[in-house]
Amino acid sequence: MKWATRAGIHIDRAACAWLIRRHVDKEAEFVFVTDPAQVPEGATPFDMRGVELGHHGGDCSFETILRRYELTDPVLWKLAEIVHEADLDDERYDAPEAPGLDVALRGLSMICDDERILELTGPLFDGLYEYHRRATLIGRDPA
Amino acid sequence: MTAQSQPPGTAQRGEWVLLSYRMPREPSTPRIAVWRKLKRLGVAQLSDGLVALPADARTREQLEWIADEAIEAGGAASIWLARPTAFAQERELAAGMAEARAAEYRAVIDQADQAADGTNTAAAVRKLRAELRRIGRRDFFPPPERALAHAAVRALAEQTESPQEEKA
Repeated sequence: MKWATRAGIHIDRAACAWLIRRHVDKEAEFVFVTDPAQVPEGATPFDMRGVELGHHGGDCSFETILRRYELTDPVLWKLAEIVHEADLDDERYDAPEAPGLDVALRGLSMICDDERILELTGPLFDGLYEYHRRATLIGRDPA
Repeated sequence: MTAQSQPPGTAQRGEWVLLSYRMPREPSTPRIAVWRKLKRLGVAQLSDGLVALPADARTREQLEWIADEAIEAGGAASIWLARPTAFAQERELAAGMAEARAAEYRAVIDQADQAADGTNTAAAVRKLRAELRRIGRRDFFPPPERALAHAAVRALAEQTESPQEEKA
């Protein structure tokens, strides 16, 4: 399936792309557009203005996708808190990882194109997921 | 070129992103939520329902999401990119924003001074560092108070690390 989002991706779009590939559509292909009118026929837009998979009711797009596809894994919702704070920084959650992740992603966007950011952030989000999966299992920060 | 990298008063006029919005008076919750978000972003209020930020990819996106929020709450909103026609107009806008941040930095300095006499300076340092980060994110035209506020919190942190020396 094709998925489209705005070019010049940052934390929310990078995290959404990871989420889509891992939990919604393993064959996902991503297209980056600079204008909503450029979204190809049949592609599902995300993290863009006026689309279903965008910001709604104070949620970032990552949270919207979790709700829309009924992903209830608590580890994914933990990542959602981090992505939400890195993206919106509204102190809805306590996510000390967020400012660091935000800076890392902003730095990457200065030296990489969108395709490359997805390549690099895939393992990063896999690792974050694994860390918080273990933390959830043992009920404290893993070593 | 973003306006962010230009100090107020330089010859190059910057680009601004404007949000024009209107929301129903009732219910007031979404209207207040939008107002809080705009305050948090440090927007310049141009007139009723018209706010501005120096344009870059980030500020534009932030205002775009708020525009959608206003629309979802039954209001109307539009986003514009604009350039002031006169340097003086931009200077005035930037000076107003710098002064708003300066007042916030002065509040941090006051709190750091008060905390220096208190017992729990470590907690004050944590709180003020978070406040400096918050202010920093909306500080597009840093006033001189910025460095002073950072220095005040640094001094408080040093005092926290070595309380004996402070008393000597």
